[in-house]
Amino acid sequence: MSTRRKIWMKFFLVVILFLVAVLVAWPKPIQKPAFVGRILAPLKINLGLDLQGGIHLIYKVDTSNVESAKVPDALSGLQDVIERRVNAFGVAEPLIETSKSGGEQRLIVELAGVRDIEAAKSMIKETPLLEFKRMEAPAEPEKTAELSDEDKKYNADQQKKAEGLLKQVQGGADFSELAKQDSEDPGSKGQGGDLGFVKRGTFVPEFDKVLFDSDLQPGQIYPQVIESQFGYHIIKLLEVRGDGDNKEVHSQHILLAKKTPPAPEQAQPTFVETGLSGKNLKSADVQFMSQSGKPEVGIEFDSEGTKMFADLTKANIGKQIAIFLDGQVISAPTVQTQITDGKAVITGNFSLDEAKQLARRLNEGALPMPITLIGQQSVEASLGMISLTQSLKAGLIGIILVMIFMILYYRFLGVVASGALIIYSSLMVAIFKLSSVTPWSITLTLAGIAGFILSVGMAVDANILIFERTKEEIRKGRSVRSAIDEGFRRAWPSIRDSNISSIITSLILIWFGTGFVKGFAITLLLGVLVSMFTAIVITRTILTAVIGEWAERKKGWIIASVKQENNEKDVN
Amino acid sequence: MYNILGKRKYFYIFSGTLMLFSVIALSVWGLKYGLDFTGGTLMEVKSEKSEVKSDDIKKVLVDAGINDAVVSPSQDNSFLIRYANSSDEKNQEVLAKLKEKFPDVQNTRLDYIGPSISSELKSKAIWALLVAVIGIAAYVAYAFRKVSRPVESWKYGVGAVVALVHDVLITVGIFAILGHFLNIEVDSSFIAALLTILGFSVHDTIVVYDRTRENLLKSGSGEKFDETVNRSLNETMARSINTSLTVLITLLAIFLFGGASIKTFTLALLIGITFGTYSSIFVASALIVDWWKWDKR
Repeated sequence: MSTRRKIWMKFFLVVILFLVAVLVAWPKPIQKPAFVGRILAPLKINLGLDLQGGIHLIYKVDTSNVESAKVPDALSGLQDVIERRVNAFGVAEPLIETSKSGGEQRLIVELAGVRDIEAAKSMIKETPLLEFKRMEAPAEPEKTAELSDEDKKYNADQQKKAEGLLKQVQGGADFSELAKQDSEDPGSKGQGGDLGFVKRGTFVPEFDKVLFDSDLQPGQIYPQVIESQFGYHIIKLLEVRGDGDNKEVHSQHILLAKKTPPAPEQAQPTFVETGLSGKNLKSADVQFMSQSGKPEVGIEFDSEGTKMFADLTKANIGKQIAIFLDGQVISAPTVQTQITDGKAVITGNFSLDEAKQLARRLNEGALPMPITLIGQQSVEASLGMISLTQSLKAGLIGIILVMIFMILYYRFLGVVASGALIIYSSLMVAIFKLSSVTPWSITLTLAGIAGFILSVGMAVDANILIFERTKEEIRKGRSVRSAIDEGFRRAWPSIRDSNISSIITSLILIWFGTGFVKGFAITLLLGVLVSMFTAIVITRTILTAVIGEWAERKKGWIIASVKQENNEKDVN
Repeated sequence: MYNILGKRKYFYIFSGTLMLFSVIALSVWGLKYGLDFTGGTLMEVKSEKSEVKSDDIKKVLVDAGINDAVVSPSQDNSFLIRYANSSDEKNQEVLAKLKEKFPDVQNTRLDYIGPSISSELKSKAIWALLVAVIGIAAYVAYAFRKVSRPVESWKYGVGAVVALVHDVLITVGIFAILGHFLNIEVDSSFIAALLTILGFSVHDTIVVYDRTRENLLKSGSGEKFDETVNRSLNETMARSINTSLTVLITLLAIFLFGGASIKTFTLALLIGITFGTYSSIFVASALIVDWWKWDKR
């Protein structure tokens, strides 16, 4: 009786395993007790990009500027930065990994459910550059530069030419014609040098002197060539109207431009690099000014940055420090005291959104190494959804057809095998779900579903081997029970050997494969292993528990036309 | 009991012809490689209105300096655009130009495989196939190390590998034909299918050989080697066919209902596994018997 009890114990364990698997796989119908729901709720199947839509990006990392010993550090830094950027984009559980292929260092980014591919890509590549610069007092303006000898000669020639033109107009030549021909004032040349009515102060002082202060009468030409900053002018007064402050003059002129020395640099404060940059940033967040409640951005440096910032503020008390983002000054606070705690605040006229965005961008930091996109795959979310429902439907149809076939061909044994198949499917779904909370999370892809459905066919294979053997043994005259035992025993080497070849190929596929291939191979491998368990251990446990004396009397439930076979055997 | 071995001449002719045609198809047409192996860009754009024509899109592409683009209309006013390309900047340019010309056009898919990735995928595929063949051959030799009478164990390994090459060659040959006439492309998933076929083919062959091994160990007297093999074939036939049937049923379900993107993959498996079953029953054991007869002379 103790063996009988052992058998039932095993059977009981199988039932429990099945119930647990079903509970994990389809927890929906079981809402109570609540704690079960709480435990099971976070378990979900990780869907691959091809099923939920998204993008898969492969970047080449340019490591040429980094010492080879420091590359691993730089790579993990790169991963961190991109992870922060991607998180800011609102992608749940992005996959960011580095891989080496040949001599090439690669970075792989998978973003699920992203709709705007281009925005996501620019988000990843965008490299905000944060710099802290100290302000240097404006340098002394440079002395006016001297004209070169060549330019001096040119100016002298222009002056001579102007004097020649003056003589011509004085001699009665048409002023307008000459202006059209020779004037180098692009604004008035076309109108024959006509400048229209103007008030005092419109032109350079030299001009005003002639037009307003000399005793030049309308219609007269000023008898001298006037030199201004633009060049040499010949001026003719045409009309005068108004009086005092309202006096306006109408004049025309011919200009011969001259070379001028370059204008001295505008005296502006210069910014000097301090070596402190976004690299040294630990974090940034939005804060609110204590009095006004206006948003500002608080930043915190890392340890190296803290020291640099302390030195910088110590040396610049009372002076400004400018904060540059992408080469633009975004704020230039004046240092009040030395800051040693590594914290600083960027104030500016920020709106809340601007402050948030700045904090986000600062958190993103700069990429430590440049990256180039070398591969991209994208699947639209709706397309993924269609693939998912289609392939699940296909799987269900496949499993049901296999069950029908098994039951028709193997009768009672087929029913047991179908039961094992249901247990197998539940176990696989449960394993997928449970893996999501372990470090070895399995991602289900479209190819994975194909692998799963295919493994259903293979799961049955072990049963077919066993049942065929069992039938043979029954035909040889064994009792059903011992035929089943014999079937399991004899079929085992074949099951083992044939599955090992599938395991070898799926391991090779996992090893070599990327994306599609890997997803397929992992589920296939898992399927082969789990199916060996369900087809052998579980089917056997169920059969040994269920097959009793009744089976000997009702062999027709298990095998067709036993008698005929026996007769044949007798004849032989 | 069927005399399977007795008719092996016909199976040799059948398999030989198929293999010959496969080699011819492969050398004349070759396989049509997918984006994975050629590199380049596959873009899908969708237009809300139905006014956009393939030729218009083609013009824009030529404008962007791409002359080899293939534009094919797909469902719901979508177009698939494929061109050789070696930098992502080009894709950005093409998209910008398309948007400029047809403001309502949406980019629904953009796959881009740079040259370094495609060459890596290619070399990985070749290595995977090589390693798989070697690994499987080694395993078969190991699994049959105990059977040495009257045929040495390594010969079973060779038989299994020949059957496997047969299955893979015919599958590849059929895809050369499909590629030429129906534009069906092969990509990494096809390699995965081939490797799965390898596993299956050997799996099937091993079951038959296993039975032969078992029967050889049991039968001491009388029965000749070829008779034992033929008996083993008959005993395992139901199993071989039923196993393949269940696998083919599930594959057919995926092929018919499982969405477009894995159709090629499933088709390769359907073809390969069908021939794998055929070769394990009608070819693999026949080879061992003929080898045995050859040695006996």
